[in-house]
Amino acid sequence: MRRLPAGGRAALTPWALLAPALLATGVVVFLPVLDALWMSLHQFVLFRPNVEPFVGLANYVTLLGDPTFWASLGRSLVWVGAGVSAQFALGFAAALLLNRRFAWRGMARALIVVPWALPSVIIGLVWTWMLDFNLGVINALLLRLGLVAHSIAWLAQPGTAMIAVILALTWQGFPFFAVTLLAGLQGIPREHYEAAAIDGAGALGSFWHVTVPGLAPVMATALLLRMIWVANSLDLIFVMTGGGPGTATETLPLYAFLKAWTGLDYGYGSALAVVLTLLLLAVVILYAARASA
Amino acid sequence: MKRRNLLAATAALAATPLAGPHAASPTTVRWWYHFDDPKASPAALVAAFEKANPDIRIHAESIPWGGGSDYDNRLYTTLVSGAGPDCAMVKLENLGRLMEMQALKDLGPWVDAWSGKSDIDPNIWRINTAPNGVRYYLPVQYVVLYLYVRQDWLDAVHLAPPKTFPEFLRAAQAMTEKGHWGFGLRGGPGGQDFWATFVLGGGASLTKGGLVTPAATAANAWFIDLYREWKVCPPSAPTDGFLQTINNMKAGVTGMTIHHIGSANELVAALGNRINAVPVPRGPKGEGWATFGDGSNAVFTHSRNQEAAWRWISFLSTGQNNVAFNILTGQVTVTTSGARHWTAEPERFVKATLDSLPIAKVFPAIPATAEFVSTVWPQTTQKALLGEITPAAMMQIFEKLYFG
Repeated sequence: MRRLPAGGRAALTPWALLAPALLATGVVVFLPVLDALWMSLHQFVLFRPNVEPFVGLANYVTLLGDPTFWASLGRSLVWVGAGVSAQFALGFAAALLLNRRFAWRGMARALIVVPWALPSVIIGLVWTWMLDFNLGVINALLLRLGLVAHSIAWLAQPGTAMIAVILALTWQGFPFFAVTLLAGLQGIPREHYEAAAIDGAGALGSFWHVTVPGLAPVMATALLLRMIWVANSLDLIFVMTGGGPGTATETLPLYAFLKAWTGLDYGYGSALAVVLTLLLLAVVILYAARASA
Repeated sequence: MKRRNLLAATAALAATPLAGPHAASPTTVRWWYHFDDPKASPAALVAAFEKANPDIRIHAESIPWGGGSDYDNRLYTTLVSGAGPDCAMVKLENLGRLMEMQALKDLGPWVDAWSGKSDIDPNIWRINTAPNGVRYYLPVQYVVLYLYVRQDWLDAVHLAPPKTFPEFLRAAQAMTEKGHWGFGLRGGPGGQDFWATFVLGGGASLTKGGLVTPAATAANAWFIDLYREWKVCPPSAPTDGFLQTINNMKAGVTGMTIHHIGSANELVAALGNRINAVPVPRGPKGEGWATFGDGSNAVFTHSRNQEAAWRWISFLSTGQNNVAFNILTGQVTVTTSGARHWTAEPERFVKATLDSLPIAKVFPAIPATAEFVSTVWPQTTQKALLGEITPAAMMQIFEKLYFG
């Protein structure tokens, strides 16, 4: 048997080592994606398993004229925009605080991870009861502090329901930014701050001219990652409001989920999911470009 | 069929550990169930059955409920993939879909030859028979929804439990004051049973055109006005679910709500004799609608152990076995012999259940019902409760779903 030249073996070794992971990814990720693509070209209603005609792009044409699709897409933009911004702001502030020296800093750094470590379903249930109109602790606190005259039905009014789910999302997600940005802060050389101080920069000047540029790459990567995760997530909304009241908190992934899982219309649900994937692809490409750079 | 291959492969993989060691004799019957109380276990019933039937092993699998949709959709997907259980607990709202999937075994010949048939009330058989006259479901439990009332609150305002819609509104208004509401309306999932009481019991009907008649529209407007106009329901009502409505009763926030005997002991523990139950009020022409909460077992066509599965499910619907089963589920025995000595809940709740049977009804067993219950009803009703659409538009959406 002819042996491969040493250079060839060296070239093949990474592929051989990656093969199990690539195979697993192919089976677990790419095969279902291809299956969803194929399914989206059919009228596939699960309780009519013997009638699955190929309909080409009909599901996509229907989707373009579906007002619920456009409305849910708009709500997804609010969900991602407001949710990720709030998490980022809170996480950044927490990272700056945790980067300072204080007595129980170690414990604070450990505790801040707790919301991130909890399952979304648990967080959804906890916030649902905290926000409960009659029995919730948030209304009780607001009433006792005299900040409101009567309880607020947070999850039953369209205006407050979206705010409530974004609040829960923020609580869940800000530790990700806090921990990531804290790691970034610790990587900024102290000499940069000393140089800025010699040049006459105050606290604000150091922040703008040293901290922010030093953290920029970490910020960009964390923001892109979190945008992808939040845009895809539906568990928190599903548990807290189910997309209601009415459809006030029904985002695009939740709409796709309800169409497929509850309505059993897998063909149309897959088309919705494919469109969401394509929309996210732009963000994914940005992230991949950053990661490879 | 290709695009189901992945689903089938996944389900087959999941089923492998079960199929492997148990595939040989004795026959293993896979049975899916859900009990509201996660601590309740059918182990004693399984042991009793296996002792009497040494040639059969029961593999009882508790499936998460998730408001009903988790259980239902797991069942549909495993059935489509061919890896479903041999038999499972099912509800009438799924009958249409399961019939369309041709997933249900006709139990008629077995039922006709079964000694326990005459021990089940003919009304329960009637409700559980499919529209085509076939018996796919074997009843195992039931409840009928009734009206819970705070008797002490009613006494304080010198009113009797309401029997008509005007009496209901008067009672709800009398009990509504700062921090208290007369009626705990359920606008979240499951609330269609509240709606049915007042709208289908108040003049609308689930027949073509029957949801958009003037009487139907008026009944629905009256229902929506309980929240919007008369404000006898908590502001959270549009999204309140089972837990909120029952907890509000327990906490003394609401004076009336609709549920069934399954929550009676919980409410008695919190409120004692202050909680009472009566049949739901009847509509203007004396009709009424008390939703029949059914629970049955079915055997599936793909099963290779159909006869063994039938022996297991018929065991569960027989005499004292059915009594023991319903003590676990918190519902009511379907057997006449068991009902005679029923002591699982205080007598007044059993009486309210039995008094409600004459107006006990179910939504039609067609595929649209499942979608109506899971998404269309809550989304549409919430919009009407919040004033985003009119009550008339709400009924037109329902009419379109059911009748095109």
